[in-house]
Amino acid sequence: MFQLLQSGLNGTGAGSYLPVVIQIIFAVGLVAFLMVVTHMLGPKRKTTDKLQNFSSGIESHGDARHPMAIKYFLTAILFVLFDVEVIFFYPYAVNFKMLGWNGFWAVMLFVAFFLCGFIYIIKKGALKWED
Amino acid sequence: MNALLLSALMGVVMMFSGIVLKSKAAIRNIAIAGMLALLLVNILEMNGTVFLVIDSKGMIGFDRFALLFNSIIFFSTFLYLTLSARDMEKVGVNYAEYLALIFFILCGIALVSSFRSLIILFLGIEIISIPLYILTGSDKLNLKSNEASLKYFLLGSFSTGLMLMGIALIYGAKGTFYTSGINMVNGAISPLLIAGMLLLMFSMAFKVSVAPFHFWTPDVYDGAPTVFTSFMATIVKAGVFIAFIRLFDEGFASQQPKWKLIIAILTAATLLIGNITAVFQQSVKRMLAYSSIAQAGFMLLSVYAMSPDSKEGLILYAAAYCMATIGIFAVLIKMSDYTFDGFNGFAKQQPLLAAVTTIFLLSLAGIPLTAGFMAKFYMIKAAMYNSGLLWLPILALVMAAVSVSYYFRVIQAMYFRESSTPSTLTVTPAFRYTLVALAALVVLLGIFPNLLLAWLYF
Repeated sequence: MFQLLQSGLNGTGAGSYLPVVIQIIFAVGLVAFLMVVTHMLGPKRKTTDKLQNFSSGIESHGDARHPMAIKYFLTAILFVLFDVEVIFFYPYAVNFKMLGWNGFWAVMLFVAFFLCGFIYIIKKGALKWED
Repeated sequence: MNALLLSALMGVVMMFSGIVLKSKAAIRNIAIAGMLALLLVNILEMNGTVFLVIDSKGMIGFDRFALLFNSIIFFSTFLYLTLSARDMEKVGVNYAEYLALIFFILCGIALVSSFRSLIILFLGIEIISIPLYILTGSDKLNLKSNEASLKYFLLGSFSTGLMLMGIALIYGAKGTFYTSGINMVNGAISPLLIAGMLLLMFSMAFKVSVAPFHFWTPDVYDGAPTVFTSFMATIVKAGVFIAFIRLFDEGFASQQPKWKLIIAILTAATLLIGNITAVFQQSVKRMLAYSSIAQAGFMLLSVYAMSPDSKEGLILYAAAYCMATIGIFAVLIKMSDYTFDGFNGFAKQQPLLAAVTTIFLLSLAGIPLTAGFMAKFYMIKAAMYNSGLLWLPILALVMAAVSVSYYFRVIQAMYFRESSTPSTLTVTPAFRYTLVALAALVVLLGIFPNLLLAWLYF
């Protein structure tokens, strides 16, 4: 810890991070600049329709803190889960030849575990829409 | 490797057993049989029989220490299941899933006990943590259980973030995830490495509830269903400790002057806060939560001393602490009143249970002829011989004396107070026999600690 305090900003440490710092300053600056500029330049014509929350063209009912059936949530989270599974296939597809049979069996194991989970959620009735 | 694969497989088997089987007794028997099989294949691996060799590119390495530690963990879980699996039925309807999650946690412990790469450490810690969040909140209709689960989840994911940040900084400094590569000294020490090491240390300290990162522990242990508190406070805590000692033994041994004093301060703070706060508790369950913090302080002495002695000590301490605490919790689960007064007159109503509970409490307090004494002895001996700081072992001794006061309050309530309400406790003969066998083991390890430690070498 004391090593950390003693070592200054020169040498191997912070100097090489200058591009990152410039990047951060640029990103923050750009956002602030654009916000200020749009605020000052654009015309403002407020109507009740424009001030309403807007989502996919459907009229909104109540606010977001509204209790809703758990099955929507369950379906969404399971969708994300299996979506992520597919993401793992992309790096595997790129390295398919290099990883050889070892990689193939590893991916098979991964898919098998996922399949177990899939059968499990179907058997448990997590995807049953009508009760 | 055997146990790692089998535990993951058993988790899946338990998941499906809940769908296929309707009888809870059958599910329980499968879990206990699976646990025995897990113990068996792990002992077989200690003797050199490996069923399936998977090339992990050196990221996982099962050495003698890890295998012996896993054996202790599996044996403790086996005892835990035989004693308390019946009580899990009362928590909720998803009986098979609770057991499945326990097997997944064991899979995580098998990973963290044998990691050679920080990625595996991270993976293992997460496999341990996520099922625990679920188990903590498994009593869905109880508000305290929900609160505990949410609190645990938020703080736990925060500390996981710290760990990832630490791993990233270390990778930035060393360009490798392997602990052997991190340990190598070449040139000047980068401040990135030290910062990363500190972040890793703090997140590990959080996971084993070392002060000042212990604030979640009493609430979470108190809010979780008591059956799962028993599991979290013993087996999981010991499992993460082996990761802690392995990380600092293999990853940061060359940086010892940098972290030794910080670990010493953490240890002292944990011993002080855990023991002093435990004295003021009114509920035995909450007292045991603080006691688990205090015991973590003793286990942290092994990280501080970092010698072959201290590794032996950690093995013994994990065994002694797990067995004694599982025994006390198994009795506590059966009680209707968790306060100290709930134990009034317990010795008259259940003389046998009171006697074994007394043995477990004596072991936790570190009274001679119990395993807890030998464990504390090894720890303090290791800390004495391997450090320039004499105040730390002295503080540990004083705190061991303080701990006697709150452990003995339970014994006092059991033997010297009269009960106002008649006992409604019902226990099966099998429960009694297992508990007596557990108490016998605690005494046996207290007399012949080498019965366990010899496994480390032969």
